[in-house]
Amino acid sequence: MSQTHDTADRRRQDEEPLVSLEDVEVHFEKNQGLFDFFEEPEVVRAVDGISLDIEENDVLALVGESGCGKSTLGKTSIGLQRPTAGTVRYRGQDVWAAKDGRGDVDIPFDEIRSSLQIIHQDPGSSLNPNQRIVDILAQPIKLTHPDVGPTERRERIYSLLERVGMNPAADFADRYPHQLSGGEQQRVALARALLMNPDLILADEAISALDVSLRVEMMDLMLDLQEDFDTSFVFISHDLSNARYFAEHGNGRIGVMYLGELVEVGRAEQLIEDPGHPYTNVLRWATPDLALHADGASEPPMRKIDIPDPVDPPSGCRFHTRCPEAREACREACPALEGETGAHRTACFRNQPDHEYWDSAPLED
Amino acid sequence: MDATDPIIEMRNARVTYDDGETFVLDDVSMAVERNEVVGVVGESGSGKSMFASAMLDAIPDPGRLSGEILYHKDDGTTIDVLELSPEELRKFRWEEVAMVFQGAMSSFNPTMKVGGHFEETLKAHDADVIEGMARAEELLADLYLDPERVLDSYPHELSGGMQQRALIALSLVLEPNVLVMDEPTAALDLLMQRSILMLLQELQEKYDLTMVFITHDLPLVAALADRMAVMYAFDLIEVAPRDQLIGDSGHPYTRALLNSTPNLDAPLEEMRAIEGQSPAPINVPSGCSYAPRCPLATEECREVDPEFYETGVGHSTACHHWERARETIDLNFEAVEDDAVGADTEDHA
Repeated sequence: MSQTHDTADRRRQDEEPLVSLEDVEVHFEKNQGLFDFFEEPEVVRAVDGISLDIEENDVLALVGESGCGKSTLGKTSIGLQRPTAGTVRYRGQDVWAAKDGRGDVDIPFDEIRSSLQIIHQDPGSSLNPNQRIVDILAQPIKLTHPDVGPTERRERIYSLLERVGMNPAADFADRYPHQLSGGEQQRVALARALLMNPDLILADEAISALDVSLRVEMMDLMLDLQEDFDTSFVFISHDLSNARYFAEHGNGRIGVMYLGELVEVGRAEQLIEDPGHPYTNVLRWATPDLALHADGASEPPMRKIDIPDPVDPPSGCRFHTRCPEAREACREACPALEGETGAHRTACFRNQPDHEYWDSAPLED
Repeated sequence: MDATDPIIEMRNARVTYDDGETFVLDDVSMAVERNEVVGVVGESGSGKSMFASAMLDAIPDPGRLSGEILYHKDDGTTIDVLELSPEELRKFRWEEVAMVFQGAMSSFNPTMKVGGHFEETLKAHDADVIEGMARAEELLADLYLDPERVLDSYPHELSGGMQQRALIALSLVLEPNVLVMDEPTAALDLLMQRSILMLLQELQEKYDLTMVFITHDLPLVAALADRMAVMYAFDLIEVAPRDQLIGDSGHPYTRALLNSTPNLDAPLEEMRAIEGQSPAPINVPSGCSYAPRCPLATEECREVDPEFYETGVGHSTACHHWERARETIDLNFEAVEDDAVGADTEDHA
C-alpha cells in the first residue's frame, strides 16, 4: 500500500471492495488466416458481462471447463487483461483509467499492478532459467525496498524460503529453477509473489500440474500464508474438489463459469451441497469420489460432451445445448444471475417457480 | 481373482540406465488378465511410465530392459515380446497391444488431416483401407465424435478433448486386444477426463478390450479399474481389486495416498499431504524404499526389503506391517458402500 494518501482518501478506499468488476466483457479477435483477409474477424467472447466484488482477505475459487473464460476473468481482475467493456476498480480506482491517466488518479497504475500478483500453472516457465533462486527473489525486494542492503535481503529471502517449506533455505537459494521439482518451483513462484506485499494473488491453475498427492500441501501453504500476509486469493481450477478445499478452508466463495458467463456463485459448502445450476451438477459428476462398489463411470448429467465454440455461443442460456433440464424457454431467453450480492446466486430459470420455463416444451436432440 | 487367463505377463522386468547404475524399474512382476482394466497409480518419478513402456518393449534409449514380457494370444500361442524382431515388434505394437500417451498434439502430424493418419496406419499394416475406414468411423462415433468432420479436420482444428479421443480411436483401428494408456487424459480438464473414462468403459465392454491405465490420479482411475496397482520408487508395492485397494489397503503409502486426495465427500480437516519426498533413482534406500517416510517403519523395514504378502483375496502388499497399517492408519473418507452408491445415483436422477 502507498503511504502517499491522506487519511480521508484512505478511509474512502477502505470502504470500497478491494477489487470490483462491473459488467466486464473481454472479447478477443481470433487470428485470421491469409485467405480470410476480407471477412469479418471472428470474435471469441471469453468473458461476457460479469460483475463481481473481491474483498480484503477474501477467497474466490473460479471453476469451469477449458475455454470457459475463468483464466481471462482472473487476469482481468488483477489488471493484466484490459476488458473490452465494463470497469475494473481497485479500492475504488478505475484500473484502466489509472493506466491511461484519465480523470483524477488516486492510486497510480504501478502501485495497483504490484498489489495484484499472479502465480501460473507452469512455474518452470515463469522463473528465469538463468538465475539462481536467491537472485529471482532479490528482484522484488529491490523494487519494493530499494534501501535494504544485500545481507538483510538474503536474510529475508532465507526466512521466506523456510516459510514456504523449503528447508534448509541455504540448500535451495543457490540452485537454478531446473534443479527444483515442480512443487518447489511453485513455492518459489509463491514466495516471489508474496515479496511484493500483494493484496490479491491470482493462482491460475497453480496446483493443476502437481501430483494429486502434493496438491493439498500446496493449498494448505497458500491458505496459511493468506492469514500471515493478509492477502486475498482468486484460485482458478477445473477441479471442483480442489476449489472446494481451497474455498471452504479459506471461508470463501466458489464461482462457476460457463462459456464466458458466471452461472452460479455462492459459499463453498452451500454450492457443493445444494447446487442451483445444472452445470454445477455436471462439475460434481466430473469430480471423482472413492465410493465403494460404484458401478464404474456413470453417464454424465448432460446431453453433449463437447463445449460449444465460444465464437458462436448458443442463444438464450448458453448451457441449453447440453443441459439435461433444458426447455424451449432456455433457447429464447438468457437467465440472469438472480439473488443478492454476497448471497448464493444462480442463473437458471428453474429457480423461479413462476417462470414460463415450466410451461414450455423440453428440448430434445 | 484367480490368475487363470493372463494376456500379458511381466516377469522380473528391470530397466536400467548408465550401464546398470540407475534403476528406473526394479524387478517388477505382474500379470494382466484378459478383459480386465488395471489402473496403475504412482507419483511423478515413480517409474510408472517405464512400466507402461516395458509392456511394449518401448523403453526410450539408452535405457535397457531385462526380464521377460510374455503375451498370450487369443489362439493360445505365446509371444516372447523381448525376442521379437523390429518388424514383428512394430506389428505387435499396433495389432496386439496399442498404446496411447498423454498429449495428442505431439502424436499427430500437424500437417496431415486426422483421416490421413487413419489411412496411413492402415496401409502401413497392410490392412484393408475401406474396411478399416469404416471401422474408424464407428470408433469415432463410439467416442461421441462426428466422424465425417473429424476425419476431414487438421489436428489443431479440434479441441484437446476431441484430439485425445481421435487418438484413442486411431490406436484401436487395427483391432488390438490390449490398450495401454499412459496419462491419456492428463492435459485435459476434469470434465473431459471423466467423460473420456466413461467412453473408455463403453469401448471396453463393446470390444472386449484389456486395458492398462497409468496415472498419478488415483480417484480418477478408480472409476474405471477392476484392479489397481500402486507404484512407489520404481517398484509395485500393492496390487488389489479396486474396492479392496480403496477400502482395505495394507500399505501405509497407499493409505497415505488415499488420505491426501481432495474429495468432495471427505471431511476437510482430515485431508493431509504425505510427508517427505519419494527417492530419486540413484539413491533408493536399502530395505523398504518407503521406510524413510513411513510412520510405521522399524529396523526390519530399513534392513529387509519386503516381499509381497498375501493380504486378501487377490490382494498383495509389500509391507512387513500391513496388519498394523490397517489398524493404525485410519482412512479419512467414508468408505461406506451402499450409502455412497445411493447418493451417487440420486445425483444423476
